[in-house]
Amino acid sequence: MRRLWALYLKEMLESVRSYKLIWIPVVFIVLGIMQPLVSFYMADILAFSSNVPAGLMENMERPAASSVMAQALGQYGTIGMLILVLGTMNSLAGERSSGTSELLMAKPVSSISVVAAKWTANFTVLVIAIGLGAAGAAYYTVQLMGALSWRDVIAASGLYALWLLCAVSLTLLFSAWLRGPAAAGLSLLLAAVMSLVHGLLPVKLNWMPASLPGMSAGVLADGGTGVSLAPIVSAVLLIIICIAGASLMAGRNKLPV
Amino acid sequence: MKDLNWGLIGPLLALQVVLAIIGLISLSKTEQVRGPKWMWVLFLIFGNLLGSVAYFTLGRKEF
Repeated sequence: MRRLWALYLKEMLESVRSYKLIWIPVVFIVLGIMQPLVSFYMADILAFSSNVPAGLMENMERPAASSVMAQALGQYGTIGMLILVLGTMNSLAGERSSGTSELLMAKPVSSISVVAAKWTANFTVLVIAIGLGAAGAAYYTVQLMGALSWRDVIAASGLYALWLLCAVSLTLLFSAWLRGPAAAGLSLLLAAVMSLVHGLLPVKLNWMPASLPGMSAGVLADGGTGVSLAPIVSAVLLIIICIAGASLMAGRNKLPV
Repeated sequence: MKDLNWGLIGPLLALQVVLAIIGLISLSKTEQVRGPKWMWVLFLIFGNLLGSVAYFTLGRKEF
């Protein structure tokens, strides 16, 4: 446990030195507060572009606070996921090509504690980013659009964070095996395929982790009547499999170039 | 665009400026980046959010 803590501190130090702990949360806050602002000023933005057909502006309604908050979280599903995956892709692959992993594996540490420390460090960055970003989005939404239930906002952000954590864990798994950019591409592709397959058969496949974003939007829309436990369980299982697989891969002393 | 509320837009602009400054500090400290350094300076100063994200994800050689 003390070894794991030492490795975790090393990872956190690295994410401070590479500015990852600063820039990812800042980008998430910007993305989060941009959505309520754009919705609030939509009428002005359309008027400014000056070729709006007559009559469009009359029956434009301001969207409800809960749907604006859901859209803000939806930003994290696209740009946010891309940023998190690109930030994770080199965590194991980079150490392999820089030679750090050889130094590390020569010490009496198990590969599972190396991988677990990396996963926990990436988890910390994700929680800080989503926490601050969702708080900023919720604050702006409440100020501009109207009241939100704090309990729903926290539950919805948590569900979204779990889905992003699945993508980050997949990246960590592939990063133990492939080069960084290939790992990022493969895990983004897999996340997209999961969402697509879930979108084709949403009722039969509602146990998949890919149904978490939809569930998160549902929590904001109706207070969480449609929440089921199955996607949460399958997401946690996927994450555990990824960590186990990554430590198996990292333990093998094959060093691809 | 008659009365833009700067109290609302201000934090958004401030965060983007902070991001660009962090990027410039990081750029001045690293030795190697992908592509010429002056290009990334232009990206960080004029590219607002996407320019900074591009620098942090693609510009730096992390290993």
